[in-house]
Amino acid sequence: MKKHLGTFGLLLSLLVICTGLAGGAYGADPIVIGVPTSTGFLEGREGLAIVHMAVEEINAKGGVKVGPERRKLVVESIDIRDAAPGVPVPEALLGLEKIILEKKPTALLIGPFRSEALLAGMDIIAKYKVPMIGTIAMTPASEEKIKSDPEKYKYIFRTCLNARYLVRYLIGIMAYVNEEFGFDRVYIMNQDVAWARATADLIKKNYFAEKGWTVVGHEAYPTGTSDFSSALMKIRAGGAQVILPIFDMPQSGILVKQWNAMRVPALLAGFISPLAGPGAWRTFDGKIGGAVNCNFELGSAIASQKVPQSVDFYASYAEKFGRPMEAGHGPAPTYEAVYILAEAIERAGTLDPDAIVAEIKKTDRVGVMGRIRFDEGHQAIFGMDPNEAAVACVFQWSEQGDRINVYPESIADGKIMLPPGLKSAK
Amino acid sequence: MFAGTVVYAVINSVILLLMAIGFNLTFGISGVSNFAYGALYILAAFSTWMLMNLIGVPYFASAILSILFTALIGALMYRFIIMRVRGQVLSEVIATFGIGLAILEFFRYLGFVGIEYSLPVFVDHSFLIAGTYVDMQRILILVASVVLIALLWVFIHHTSIGLAFRGIAQDERTALTFGVDSDYIAMLSVAIGAGLAAIAATVIVPLGTISIEKGYDVLLNALAVCIIGGLGSTGGVVVASLFVGFAQRFTDTYMGSHYTMIVSLVAILLVLVVKPSGLFGKQKELEERI
Repeated sequence: MKKHLGTFGLLLSLLVICTGLAGGAYGADPIVIGVPTSTGFLEGREGLAIVHMAVEEINAKGGVKVGPERRKLVVESIDIRDAAPGVPVPEALLGLEKIILEKKPTALLIGPFRSEALLAGMDIIAKYKVPMIGTIAMTPASEEKIKSDPEKYKYIFRTCLNARYLVRYLIGIMAYVNEEFGFDRVYIMNQDVAWARATADLIKKNYFAEKGWTVVGHEAYPTGTSDFSSALMKIRAGGAQVILPIFDMPQSGILVKQWNAMRVPALLAGFISPLAGPGAWRTFDGKIGGAVNCNFELGSAIASQKVPQSVDFYASYAEKFGRPMEAGHGPAPTYEAVYILAEAIERAGTLDPDAIVAEIKKTDRVGVMGRIRFDEGHQAIFGMDPNEAAVACVFQWSEQGDRINVYPESIADGKIMLPPGLKSAK
Repeated sequence: MFAGTVVYAVINSVILLLMAIGFNLTFGISGVSNFAYGALYILAAFSTWMLMNLIGVPYFASAILSILFTALIGALMYRFIIMRVRGQVLSEVIATFGIGLAILEFFRYLGFVGIEYSLPVFVDHSFLIAGTYVDMQRILILVASVVLIALLWVFIHHTSIGLAFRGIAQDERTALTFGVDSDYIAMLSVAIGAGLAAIAATVIVPLGTISIEKGYDVLLNALAVCIIGGLGSTGGVVVASLFVGFAQRFTDTYMGSHYTMIVSLVAILLVLVVKPSGLFGKQKELEERI
């Protein structure tokens, strides 16, 4: 009996020791990642899901090494609703402050949708000294604010495309169709919101005016517009060869349907958020063949065989959630942001915010969007080659429902094909 | 261009009419301002989508089931909530707006955001009318609204329930003395109004996608048209829809799309200043104020 008791005691001791060791590995408090964003919108919903996905991947490998110990990541989120019409910026900021004060996050990811909320929120982030990697709001004004007081605003970074880079990509596409087909008559249609207005105006001023294009018309549509027939009639009457749409509202899908139904002989090439994901083919009953769309980041609902990480990311998301990604803006930079943060914490070896931001700034990582480095304004650098910089991806819907990458050339799988009824001007 | 604008103005007017007719009918009969109207429109659209995509019910059967379901929700809404506050206008507005908000935000909470939520068009074809291509779905909307208005007229004027509707609308107390159950009729009016919102959703949603924000737009459009036409006046709603529909399309074509949003607001302001009860409204209390 005594022998048995001794064996039992020995086993019990071993169990306690093993449990203690295991506990030592994960015993430290987890690192809290805060996600304050508009979770009721597609980009926010998918972004939050991707943060969870990346965190699970990191935790499965043992978590993040902070000095001598490994610590797990946990995600806390709040819906700040800044993307919803009519929600004032101060209300969104309350949500931002609430998550900082109540959840004590080590860092924030995704952040506000609307640039106005980001700009106002930067002061709150600076006040509480919480590093934030934004992945939705696109205003370059935040970079200017950081440059104006680098010490105060050093906590804010952005991995997604900004409006300035978007202009470059859209100009690139316009130059492409000009060179390839001789098109030089354009009709600009943009949503009447700050980023879309600024993007349209910059392209008009910096490209169309300089290169001698004829701008047949330029219309700004209030958010919620649900009939585009007038503009489409003007496009037909004015002989525009290219329609440049810039919209992120769900109702812009109506434009695509009307463009098809009214058989407008012009190439639709720009950004319409409902066209970004693979589900668009079914949503629009297969009537989007020929439309050209710019997804803001490679990996955001579009992948390229030339960047294998983007293919893996796209497939992992579909496998984990049982449905493909649909948001053409946000998912890829959000995924990258989690890894950038985790790597920065490991390099810093501490959760001190100043040490973390110093390491985030040194980021040089090749991921799903290409190579990511930050500039002086803490903006991820975008370019045309994924080996050199992050890239956006312009694709064209084929008549068979495939998405063919057409720009930039480094990730292109094909050339732009003109839809039926539209002939080259060359 | 002018002829094309006229064609699309007619279609736009009819869409506005379809969006407003249910709201107007409910108010005209029971006096209930159903501010959950836009949410019921979205509820019907999502119900159709769910029946088709999650359960596999054929499109037309899904649409009919959704219309009946939405009408039932309208009836339950009246029976359990609106009936308790009926007659207290502010309470009615707060209660129905709250219900609408709850329905819309519940869909958002469930994750019904994204572009995959759309309904297919009935017939995929375009016709050349007055030099402009018009798709079959818009023509169907035109036909559906004419048929709907005709059926409503027959229902209101030639059925016993329709006569009870008119009785309650004209003088509720007198109708009561004739044995008309005003609560039952008011419940029916809310249910039929909800059903009309669902019919509007069934024919209009295939033009685009289903988005939660559209619920608020539909309510605002319905309110604008009803205020301009005169709350409760069917003829007024028809005229106001034509007025706003034409004004919006011609403003879009000849002035600029960003002015279209203020067209209905300016019209509301003008009507409130000149004729507060609306173009065909008969609310003497309002008329006597100017």
